[in-house]
Amino acid sequence: MRSRLAPLATLAVAALGLGLAGCAAGGSGDGDTTKIVLGTWRTEDAAMWENDIIPAFEKSHPGITVEYAPVDTNDYNAAIQSQIEGGTGPDVIMCRPFDVNRSWIEQGYFDSLAELDAVSTFPETALAAWEGDDGTPYCVPVASVLAGFYYNTAIFDELGLEVPTTQAEFLDVLDAVKEDGTYTPLALGSADGWQLAYNMLYQVGPNAWHGEDGRLGLIDGTKKLTDPDFVEGFRVFDSFKDYLPKGYESISYEDMTQLFTLGQAAILPDGSWQISQVTSTGLDVGVFGAPPAAAGEQRYQQEMADMAFGLNAAGKQKEAATEFLEWLGTPEFQQLYVNKLPGFFSMGSEPVSYDNPLAQEFADLKEGAELTSRLALDRLSAGQPPLDDEIWRVAQLMYNSGLSPEEATAELQKGLDSWYTPAG
Amino acid sequence: MIRTGTRYRMLALFVAPALVVYVAFAVYPLLSSVGMSFFDSGGGDSTFVGFGNYVELFTNPTTSERFWNALVNNVEFFLIHLLVELPVGLLIAALLTSGRLRRSVGLYRTLLFIPATLSVVIVGFLWRLIINPLWGIVEFPLLGNEATALPTISLMSVWQYLGIPMVFLYTALLAIPDDVVEASRIDGAGAWTIFWRIKFPLIAPQFGLITILTYIWTFNGFDIVYALNGSAPGPNYSTDILGTFFYRSFFGSSGQVADLDLGGTVASVIFAIILVTTAAYFWVLQRRLKTYEL
Repeated sequence: MRSRLAPLATLAVAALGLGLAGCAAGGSGDGDTTKIVLGTWRTEDAAMWENDIIPAFEKSHPGITVEYAPVDTNDYNAAIQSQIEGGTGPDVIMCRPFDVNRSWIEQGYFDSLAELDAVSTFPETALAAWEGDDGTPYCVPVASVLAGFYYNTAIFDELGLEVPTTQAEFLDVLDAVKEDGTYTPLALGSADGWQLAYNMLYQVGPNAWHGEDGRLGLIDGTKKLTDPDFVEGFRVFDSFKDYLPKGYESISYEDMTQLFTLGQAAILPDGSWQISQVTSTGLDVGVFGAPPAAAGEQRYQQEMADMAFGLNAAGKQKEAATEFLEWLGTPEFQQLYVNKLPGFFSMGSEPVSYDNPLAQEFADLKEGAELTSRLALDRLSAGQPPLDDEIWRVAQLMYNSGLSPEEATAELQKGLDSWYTPAG
Repeated sequence: MIRTGTRYRMLALFVAPALVVYVAFAVYPLLSSVGMSFFDSGGGDSTFVGFGNYVELFTNPTTSERFWNALVNNVEFFLIHLLVELPVGLLIAALLTSGRLRRSVGLYRTLLFIPATLSVVIVGFLWRLIINPLWGIVEFPLLGNEATALPTISLMSVWQYLGIPMVFLYTALLAIPDDVVEASRIDGAGAWTIFWRIKFPLIAPQFGLITILTYIWTFNGFDIVYALNGSAPGPNYSTDILGTFFYRSFFGSSGQVADLDLGGTVASVIFAIILVTTAAYFWVLQRRLKTYEL
């Protein structure tokens, strides 16, 4: 028996030996290049980074090679936390906005970037999502996403509609589409709570609660969700309920996008990241921002900080990683990045031009508007119950079960009061 | 014969590989997550807090409400599985062994088992399209209504895994010797009597086994709910089960920071629920089930 197994065993040992030798050979490489690893959650952008962006960086920075190491977005937080605790974190870490990042800063995952030239090319509002409590910057902003209302220009022409400039006009437009009866006025379903919050409430609400005024007021405790401004924001959100497709309670995010791209709906509330998707069927699509209550009032535009990169405090290649972070602040990178990835917008002070016409139209929404972040992601969701999750749930209840704006805001404020102490 | 010493050495040798893998990949992670539940690792270093996390889980109004909600939903998820899968599985197994299908038995058996081999994501996607109010066959928002969402998801899962109890019962029915059936037929029993008086008592122990397997499987359930409704399964958490509740605590959701300690606590509680019930079942019930010697 033993003798019969011997050749097999020899083969196995030989194969193992060869494999290990291969690893060793692959691991060494030549001495004068430094490799840095980028940890990100953007698995879908791997090809873009590897084919376009990283080569551009490596060309201008000989001696540094960059490895793109994405982790699925749902597992990203836990993966990075366990990697860093285990001492194997990537050199450059993609930063989640607000609370998650703040907890990472407190854990000492990042080095301060106060000395970095790249940081000074961004306005304060762009850096805010990734700062420590004392205002120290820890990440270089890469991209933000905007929310808007996509509209089918063919349907607007057919029914003789104009892009609305006030909330009342918006409802008139929806009424006209509804009366005509051929198309669904608003491609919106309530099966996915997150998108009711992110694409609707946080988009139409800021006009009522005055954007950052309201948001920061909640954080420092000077305002409450039960204040008239917030109740009004929730009421505006509620007023769109009459224009939804049949069975909207179980229409998911994918369904509503499809309803719009098939040309069956006039307007789609969605994020800028969907630009390629909504035009994929060849529709002629335009975009407008949530209009203010009355003509001439200040308009508020949701801009959500999405991606940034920070420096791993325990990284071994800090010098090369810092060079990479400096490069992220250059117009060269920003121009390249936003045009390779339509729907994501540069947060730098330098103007960037967009090849994609719809992306340019989206970027133009920022003109003359006050920018504001999504309401509940900063600080207000760092306890139990997290305000953001509660808003998803309550927004669903408003559309599905007729919860009133007053009841909704009272319930949310009660949940928030149970754990949140204002930062003051 | 082989001496006892060699015997034991060989025994250890044969058991070792499976034991090592089992300990490394099942026992150790289990114990480490139970261990985790006794620590508070916020702020960089862990401090021992005893049952603090458990107290927090059951006394914090939000987490305890979500936990009980998930538990009740999970019981419903289990009962729907049991009450639909068992009778339907039995009916199909009885039809397959009745001899009426003749040569198409193999075809039906395969067709009925195929869904169990599909990915849960595909099953969820197919059913979601079928019952979609926009392009599906029903206008009623089955998945969007708090009262119907969980039963709908449960029935999708029942559809998928119907083949499993069917196969259990089918093999048990096949194992019944023909002479017993023939003898009863000679004694004048009809098909109905034969099934309920002869075959059913002989396959009865299978029901206990299927019940407990369904129990373990549904209380570990996660994938179909997550595939359809994500980690904060709505509407209004009406489809939240223990698995998704655990996922949300451990990995976080949206802007929420992952809380490994709370996650470990939830995992330990789920483990305890399954362990206690399963143990009670084996000690109390399984031993009393009558097995007929043939």
